[in-house]
Amino acid sequence: MSTAIAWQMTSVDFLKLRKRRGMMIWSFLLAVAPVLIYFLVSAIQHSSNPGRYGPAGGTHNFTDGLRVIALFFGPLAAVLIGVEAGTGDASAGVFRDLVVTGRSRLALFATRVPAALALCCTMIGVAYGLLIVGTYAFASNLPTPGLSLVFNGLGFALLATGVVCVVAVGFAALTTSKPAAIIALIAWQIVASPLIANIESLGSARAGVLSQALGHFSPVHVEGRRGEIVTMSQGTAILVTLAWLAVFLGLGAWRTRKMDA
Amino acid sequence: MRPVPIDRERALPTQANDPAAQDQQGSALAIETHGLTKRFGERTALDGIDLRVPRASAFGFLGPNGAGKTTIIRTLLGLTSANSGTMEVLGHPMPLERAQALQRVGAIVEEPRFHMHLTGRENLRLIAAVRGPEVHERIAPALARVGLSERAGEKVKSYSMGMRQRLGVARCLLADPLLLILDEPTNGLDPGGIQEFREMIRAMVEQEGRTVFISSHLLDEVERTCDAAAIVDRGKIITQGTIAELAGGGVARHELILGVDDVARALGTLGASELVLESHRSDEGIRVVLAGAGGAESAARVNALLVGAGVGVARLEPVRQSLEQRFLEITTRLDATPEEVEA
Repeated sequence: MSTAIAWQMTSVDFLKLRKRRGMMIWSFLLAVAPVLIYFLVSAIQHSSNPGRYGPAGGTHNFTDGLRVIALFFGPLAAVLIGVEAGTGDASAGVFRDLVVTGRSRLALFATRVPAALALCCTMIGVAYGLLIVGTYAFASNLPTPGLSLVFNGLGFALLATGVVCVVAVGFAALTTSKPAAIIALIAWQIVASPLIANIESLGSARAGVLSQALGHFSPVHVEGRRGEIVTMSQGTAILVTLAWLAVFLGLGAWRTRKMDA
Repeated sequence: MRPVPIDRERALPTQANDPAAQDQQGSALAIETHGLTKRFGERTALDGIDLRVPRASAFGFLGPNGAGKTTIIRTLLGLTSANSGTMEVLGHPMPLERAQALQRVGAIVEEPRFHMHLTGRENLRLIAAVRGPEVHERIAPALARVGLSERAGEKVKSYSMGMRQRLGVARCLLADPLLLILDEPTNGLDPGGIQEFREMIRAMVEQEGRTVFISSHLLDEVERTCDAAAIVDRGKIITQGTIAELAGGGVARHELILGVDDVARALGTLGASELVLESHRSDEGIRVVLAGAGGAESAARVNALLVGAGVGVARLEPVRQSLEQRFLEITTRLDATPEEVEA
């Protein structure tokens, strides 16, 4: 497959996603609304009781906002985008028409990934932009993050959500069911992952939880409740992340190649 | 809403009737299968299918629901794999040379499906992107060809069934296909749409030299549209040949219905003539099976024979052999027990 065809296929995969109005609205709300609400509530609290509540901006609130984007709501938006990319053709019944063109099924699967990533990064980029605006606009007399932290934070947010998005593409292609993939991934993300991370008796096995591995790439301290962050080396975090990507991309590609269209 | 008439004046630029292009594809047959078998668990969906579809013809694949029509199409297109047997599409062995074989194949399997949230034009863009950069320039002519140019900017979810069928054909045309495979293509079309669809198929075959493979359970549709057909039932091809051959039971039969003033004398005269293979009374008059090639000349000679024998001929009507009659004969025989068949 030539680069020109790969680019065109990715472009139309992106078109399919960005024209999916419902998915766009929900993923945008999940990515952006929490940041807006966070600043709005913090600003209101600060203005109503400055003695008790500090300003809504500054480095401290940037850290909380980054955590919201990269590890809580951003991944949910990434799941919606990834699942749509992974199941869109099959659920519309168009997959067979794509196969009939003679194009390799692996190529059909592969071009969904950059398209989903492009949309996910756009959404998270907008949310992160709002976070930066809020961080500086509401900083008052608080210290603000330096340029280095701003860029590292962006990289972390894109990495954490992008990995989840790619895993969602693979998992959705494996299940071929949009509702099942969304329910399973969101349940894993917001229920199972924190639960497993809190079961101390599991010990180092908890390092296999993707969100725990991704948390280690954060440029700021993102620890939440006790035991929520599992201790692991940077190398282990990288290996766990790569393993998640390889397994789910592999399974998704295998299913796309083998399934009856 | 009624489908827009087909715009033949703005036909697609095509290489389908270019002999050089066909030579590159090799075989004189568009589709050839030998012993093609597909099983779903214990059930045999295709049972040793031997199929030969000549190029530049409209070929009907006729059978009742559940006979295996869609399964063979899916197998031919590589949407599902066969358990045994061989197949070639446009001279390329499948699935070995799948990409080359399907490069010039357009297909609608079951019903045309689209991304409903995209416009007709955007849906074609998706396929064009997958097929290759040169295909984009075929989008506008393909839409014009099926009469959808003015509605191409609307979302497909607002299209009628007939319009979706047309958009499905436009999507097929993006491949500039040497072979079109259409699964029950007239489903959901109104009578006007069916007529226009039929005309479009015939134009593709006769004017552009494309091969059209149509699966259908509609006998009349296949008889009107196709040059040749295969009858399939329970995963097996029962018979295949030209429409006239199929309707005549393997050979083309030419029959007449006669209305005469003296039936007994007419039967005697016809029975002694070499022009006639068989004659007998029927509800409609005398039914005559001609010995020769048939046609207007034979009919005139039978008329002259009877008049010469002093029989007044009030009616002489050629019988159009019906594929439906033949189909019912075949399927009735299949349904019968061995004892009934022997009897």
